[in-house]
Amino acid sequence: MLLQLNNIFKWVQQGGERVFLLKDINLDVSEGEFISIMGPSGSGKSTLLNVLGMLDGFNEGSYTFMQEPVHSLKEKHRSELYKRYIGFVFQAYHLIDELTVYENLEMPLLYKKVKSGERKALVADMLDRFHIVGKKDLFPSQLSGGQQQLVGVARALIGNPKLLLADEPTGNLNSQQGEEIMELFQQLNNEGVTIIQVTHSEKNAAYGSRTIHLLDGRKISG
Amino acid sequence: MFKNYVKIAWRNLLKNKGYSLINIGGLALGMAVTLIIALWVTEELSYNRYFTNKDRVAQVFQSQTFNNQTGTGPSIPLPLEPALKEAYGDYFKHIVLSSWNNQQYIKFGEKNLARTGNFMQDGAPDLLDLNILKGVKAGLEDVNSIMINQSTAEAFFGTEDPIGKVVKIDNQHDMMVTAVYEDIPVNNSFNDMEFIMTWQHYLNSNEWLESARENWGNNSFQLFVQLKANTDMESLSAQIRDLKKVSNEDTAEFNPQLFLHPMKDWYLRSNFENGKQVGGRIKYVWLFGIIGVFVLLIACINFMNLSTARSEKRAKEVGIRKSIGSQKGQLIYQFLSESFLVVLFAFLLALFLVLLSLNGFNDLSRKEIAFPWRSISFWGASLFFIVVTALVAGSYPALYLSSFRPVDVLKGTFKAGKYAGLPRKILVVLQFTVSVAFIIGTFIVMQQINYAKNRPVGYDKEGLLQIPTFSEDFTGKYDLMRSEFLKSGAAIEMSSSSSPTTQIWSNRGGFTWEGKPDNFQEDLAWTEVSSEYAKSLNLKIVEGRDLSREFATDSNAVLINETAKKYMGLDNPIGVLIKDSNEENPDPPLKIVGVVQDMITQSPYEPVKQGIYVFDKEGESSYYNLRLNPKNSASENLATIERVFKEHFPKIPFQYDFVDDEYGEKFASEERIGSLAAIFTALAIFISCLGLFGLTSFVAEQRTKEIGVRKVLGATVFNVWNMLSKDFLKLVTISCFIAIPISYYIMNGWLQEYPYRVVLQWWIFLLAIIGALGITMLTVSFQAIKAANANPVKSLRTE
Repeated sequence: MLLQLNNIFKWVQQGGERVFLLKDINLDVSEGEFISIMGPSGSGKSTLLNVLGMLDGFNEGSYTFMQEPVHSLKEKHRSELYKRYIGFVFQAYHLIDELTVYENLEMPLLYKKVKSGERKALVADMLDRFHIVGKKDLFPSQLSGGQQQLVGVARALIGNPKLLLADEPTGNLNSQQGEEIMELFQQLNNEGVTIIQVTHSEKNAAYGSRTIHLLDGRKISG
Repeated sequence: MFKNYVKIAWRNLLKNKGYSLINIGGLALGMAVTLIIALWVTEELSYNRYFTNKDRVAQVFQSQTFNNQTGTGPSIPLPLEPALKEAYGDYFKHIVLSSWNNQQYIKFGEKNLARTGNFMQDGAPDLLDLNILKGVKAGLEDVNSIMINQSTAEAFFGTEDPIGKVVKIDNQHDMMVTAVYEDIPVNNSFNDMEFIMTWQHYLNSNEWLESARENWGNNSFQLFVQLKANTDMESLSAQIRDLKKVSNEDTAEFNPQLFLHPMKDWYLRSNFENGKQVGGRIKYVWLFGIIGVFVLLIACINFMNLSTARSEKRAKEVGIRKSIGSQKGQLIYQFLSESFLVVLFAFLLALFLVLLSLNGFNDLSRKEIAFPWRSISFWGASLFFIVVTALVAGSYPALYLSSFRPVDVLKGTFKAGKYAGLPRKILVVLQFTVSVAFIIGTFIVMQQINYAKNRPVGYDKEGLLQIPTFSEDFTGKYDLMRSEFLKSGAAIEMSSSSSPTTQIWSNRGGFTWEGKPDNFQEDLAWTEVSSEYAKSLNLKIVEGRDLSREFATDSNAVLINETAKKYMGLDNPIGVLIKDSNEENPDPPLKIVGVVQDMITQSPYEPVKQGIYVFDKEGESSYYNLRLNPKNSASENLATIERVFKEHFPKIPFQYDFVDDEYGEKFASEERIGSLAAIFTALAIFISCLGLFGLTSFVAEQRTKEIGVRKVLGATVFNVWNMLSKDFLKLVTISCFIAIPISYYIMNGWLQEYPYRVVLQWWIFLLAIIGALGITMLTVSFQAIKAANANPVKSLRTE
């Protein structure tokens, strides 16, 4: 078991009333799964992904990640945990505009305090694997959307995470670029990376092994 | 990791050039001001550092009380020296009597030059620890010795060895050069001491000193002391307090109190009130120190405001970094390193600005500050300065930026909350409060100076020339010279006096007159003058007449000023006799023949002192006062006067001063302070406006879409301008209302030091408000109008 959510509730206070973003979510994820989260806008997909990625907290319930109780960990410990095991891919790529492709890829390693020599090797490896060696000195604004997302995925993978979280990774891409990214995900999954993605597209969801449907913060299937 | 931060910071700076320029430029300007002020303050604080014995050297000061008015000063009577030696000699390494710094004509071969210096006792060179370049340190042992400074030695002897050469003093006395000492640098006492001659020679060559030897009432001398090691200055100072009182009964009624004024306080803490030390120049050190800190603060606030205003642009980066694994602490570290980088750039630029402006600043402040390239402590302090500035400027933005939640900012809908602008507003208010207070303060200083400048002087200082006549060669030549100068056509009237028109050199008491109140201890400013004194000065005679050569009896005639008339309680002063109260051997009584208008001889900020002008019987004047012929140009007159002077005194260098220039010197100190304050104020305002300019451009950018929509809906340029300017004008108005009471309080306190002072008027404050709002409006309008004129189609399409 990679992670487990038990009775997760998350709400915000609005005009004296609680508005639930997540309601009583229970979820078990085993290593090697490829899960798609679907649902209409505002159903809580991204919130759930953020909770899983420890970017966001929750109000009730418990979250166990690799036997660690995330809900009771200190911030520092928690960030150690996801720095080590989790990679994020965003719809809007979210590369740092002022850094080159090479430097964007290098950044997670800097936060993990990887030594300079090893860093170089890992970045070179990643550039190679994604066929973007020629682009390493370009800035994000000089790349197409598909290329940027490729860099985004490469950056998420460079720390060798166990879990890859993707929030509509193909949302800003055309269909061909999107397909390439999804095939990449499938390949990664085959290599053993656990993937959870949020998507609107049935076609993309079909790449996964399991689909979870959300509605108004509740899990209605999966 | 640090390299990564620097890279990001550098690229950010390059990407937003306008922003970087405002940020670094403003900060550099602020740092330059602070640096210059720091150099100035250091210079002020290090006054007299040249003297290695400065911690153990002091001057004996005396407080005396006349009519409940206590005055304190360095003048002491001659018999104090042997008395001090006898009673407390064990505590002192040196006790050195000294004359005042005075001018002498020194002649060697054909060269005859005027030089200033002191007559001092033997211990002087050792007490001052003069740096002897040639000759011996103990150079005052023989009566006819002279020690000269390096410049004087070069002026007379060039490259020749001066030691053993004999020079002529005042065309009479032969003196042998025994030593050459290094010139005393400018920011030290004694820096105008170009020679030292022996005390014994001073006694021998001045007859009047004979009577001073035993006279405890003649306070015309200075006494310097050097304490032995491990003697405590303060306790010794307390011990000698009553020495004069117990030594001499006659002067005890004035309650003389002696104390040691330590060398380290000479320059900065030499104001006394009722016998107590009440500061001095140190207040300007504080004043400028505070200005320096505030200017830097204003510059730091710019940095904070611009950084946080730009936060929306950096928010995404913060989100990404946090989602990749950065902790808050690492982000704080990153933003602090960024501000460190910016501050470092600003510092380098500031150094450059300081180098550029140091000469001008030295001229303005009459300093000789050199840039301390080699001073390790300067660089150490600079590093500290950079770090502190980076922390002050960078900590708030760092905390603010690093606290963004990635979930919020990565959604791409992040907008700073309703109250995010509040700290920024408070900081703007703080900036402008300081700026407005500076404006008001500068206004008032300027007004006070002008007020004193416009004060009626009492005489006509324009076209009045004074020629020093210290040499004995002038004795008995007055009448001849007067007729020669008048005949030459360059002067239309002339008189002589024992002190310059702009100063009081002597004060006397010990008189009686009819109707003098009991126990009245008078203290009169005493000037010996020739006949036609009032006429030559265009000094108005209020009652009676001028001293005149027409009256044979005028050898005992005196003039008094209006203040003296009131002070002495004389309703009908003409004809009143002023008698010497010394009964044994009295001077002949003086008869008042005229009352003249008050004239400002001392500080233009103080009331005129009661004065008495006595006919100069001996003809031993110190100055000729010449009323120039207005029909000729000043240079023509001067040329004629020099020619006549040279005819009669070929051996004496021709020296002269225009009285209005001398009078102007009285304002020099205040004017310097005023112009420095004005410059720093202008810079403070400029930096504040720079920040405001930056902020407005961000606000305009932020609201581009809103402005577009408003314009589509029919808003005019004026509406948009109004919308954008209103907020800032509000803030500056608040600043004005905070600044006014603060500056009123401070400036009112400052003015209290000047008995003759301007009344604070409400319109000054109004003017400051209008000025501040006007400047704000100009600054803001540039961006506001630009934004208001933008084509709405363009700004809306970008969405």
